[in-house]
Formats: sequence, structure tokens, C-alpha cells
Amino acid sequence: MRIRFDLNGRDTTWEVDPGETLLEALRRHEITSVKYGCDTASCSACTVLLDGDPVPACAVPAGRVDGHAVLTVEGVPDEARRLGEAMAGEGADQCGFCSPGLVMSVVAMCRTSDAPGELDDETIAEYLAGNLCRCSGYVSQARAIRRYLEASS
Amino acid sequence: MAVRTYLKPASLSEAAALLAEHERAVIVGGGAYLRLGARSFDVAVDLFDAGLDYVRETDDGLELGAMATYRMLETDPAVRAYADGLLAQSVARIVGVQMRNIVTVGGTVFGRYAFSNLTTALLALGADVTLHHAGRMTLETFLARKPAAGDILASVTLPAEGGRAAWQELTRTCNDFAVLNVAAVRRDDGLRIAVGARPGMARLCPEAAAAPARAGETAAAELDFGDDVRASADYRRAICRVLVARAVEEVLS
Repeated sequence: MRIRFDLNGRDTTWEVDPGETLLEALRRHEITSVKYGCDTASCSACTVLLDGDPVPACAVPAGRVDGHAVLTVEGVPDEARRLGEAMAGEGADQCGFCSPGLVMSVVAMCRTSDAPGELDDETIAEYLAGNLCRCSGYVSQARAIRRYLEASS
Repeated sequence: MAVRTYLKPASLSEAAALLAEHERAVIVGGGAYLRLGARSFDVAVDLFDAGLDYVRETDDGLELGAMATYRMLETDPAVRAYADGLLAQSVARIVGVQMRNIVTVGGTVFGRYAFSNLTTALLALGADVTLHHAGRMTLETFLARKPAAGDILASVTLPAEGGRAAWQELTRTCNDFAVLNVAAVRRDDGLRIAVGARPGMARLCPEAAAAPARAGETAAAELDFGDDVRASADYRRAICRVLVARAVEEVLS
């Protein structure tokens, strides 16, 4: 089937299999920031924004996004770079596999908040509870995100 | 999941026409549970663009469209203000924001999942379910029998008066499915208590609701419990007494 949608701000037309997921379609088209993690919508490594909302691309049928907007790390280079630098600065980036999904979730959190710099730690932790990381133990990530949010506001 | 034809109707009536035309079509609500199966479908009818992703206050009460997401229940001011925010509480720890952005009210109710937190909360609130063909019925009636093939859940309606409500659940880890979940609602016309993930389908506890002072032990006695990977029947019965007592204490305080 043919889908036409907004991918990272560009009008995009793809041929996709009617049974494939958005994750599979994205990676097949070389949008490889989106990681294939648990494949059960449990780890959020494949988080993309669908019409601005963070969703696990492994649980979204590719056909669903026809007529909608999808945003990946490739579409937010500036935010990804700044958050990546904050992560590196806090020693929060280890294997890096969960980082793109985390970046997109933080981007969504910032965009839906009136004052991202004022978000308290509990709110941040609740918002990002779905983003699993098997390396960091989250403490260094939490420091990096706080640093990023304060620098962004 | 293998699909031959993927269709995205632009309205409920268009979806109904497609389901009438394709007898063995599968309805895609949220899609999170469906995609875990290795099943094959000739036709998938996705309700994503059918205009059912709404929450609205009507003369009749609070109406949740079938495609309203869990995240909408957490963020919509009308839902948060309704019955002490019971619906938001019941879904707040389910996996993560990403999952809650795709899981829908209709997908949950229509799927009649026994593990569901939301179904327990809706049962305690006295929700009605409206199907496109079969019409409006209580959630209890809906849960008791499988919906007819080709029918579509359009919306879930809650009574205008929310009342006082309390949520209790026990999970083994923060974002896991519940070992047991409990919702209690108190309105002018009395108390309603629902218990789910027993691990069977959520049930109301009329005897416990009639004996608030002994609600915990009464609920544990009137319900049946089973074993699964998360807990034994005996364990569930033991925590049922405690969780129901806590929920009732909270709504009566």
C-alpha cells in the first residue's frame, strides 16, 4: 500500500506492507536512529513522535501514519546534539541503544510543557518511566536531562 | 502480524460498512495488543481516523470516544476532575507515556482483558458501553458476552455525577500488570466496589458494597481467585481484603 505523510517536515510517499509496523518501515527506509529493541512496546527504544505525541513505533502499523506527521531524531538535529552533549558530559551515554528513544521522549516532554526548566524530578521520572536503559541506572541520565532542561529554558 | 488490506475509514459509519463488506476483518483500535499476536488477517480496519478520539461532557455524563487514549484520560481536565481522577489513577503506571499514547479506551473494553486496570475503574463507575449495532448497555452486560462479529464499540459513557472514588492496586514492579486491582466509588445512591486481575475478569462486589465496615473480608469471600505467573489465588485473596478495605476507607472518609 502507498502512504503519504510528513516525515521530519518533508512530504514523503512510501510503499509499505499493510502488515508491517512503522518501526520496520522507517528502518527499511534508512531512518536508523529508530532502534529495534524489545518489539513488544515495553522499552521505548523505538519512540517517535506521531502528530507530536511520543509512541512506540513497533506498535504503530505503518498504514496508520498515512496523512499524519512523524518526527524522529533525524528531524530534531539541534535538540539531539544538545541533549547528546549533556548526556556525554554526565557519563550517561554508554551503549547508546536507548538514546534516540530517550531524546524523542525528552523532546516531546519539553514541547508539551509550558516551562520545561521548572519540571520537577518526579514529573520527569514519571514521563520517562517507559524509556528503559540497561546500562546507566538512570541517575546519570536524570542529571543530564536536568542540565539540558535548564540550558534550554 | 500479516495483513493483506489495510483500511482507514474516516467515520464510524464508514467503518461499519467496511466490516459488513469484509466479514472476517479485524478492527484495529490502539493496536498494541493485536500486534503481539502472529495472526494473519485479510483485512484490517483501523479506527485511527474515524473521529472517535474524543472526550466530551454531555447532558448524559462524561463520554469517552472509543479511540480516546489512556494519555487523554491522564491529561484531559474533565476526566481529571471526574470522580477524584479515578480513571487517570488507574492508567497512570501502565508501561510508559509512549504506550499510553496508543492504548485506547475502546480497544481495552472491546478486548475484555481480565488484566485491565481501566475496566475495573469503569465497572466501579457504572459505565455504559455504546455499540454501533447493538446500542447502549451497561459495561457489566457487555463483559458477560462476546460482542457480535462486525459490531464496533463507539463510546463509553459515565454517569454525570462522578462521586468520591479510590484506586488501589498491587504490582510486583512499578510499571507491571497488577497482581490485583480495586476501585471503589461512593455516590448519593450508594457504594460500588470492583476488583480485577483476580486474574479473571473484573467483577463488582455487591455484598461488600452493602457491608462497608466489613468490605475487605466480604469481597474476599464473594469473589473467586486464581493462580497465574504473578501470584497465587491465596495471595490474591489475602491482599483483596486489604486493598478493598483501604479503598472503602478512603471513599468513606
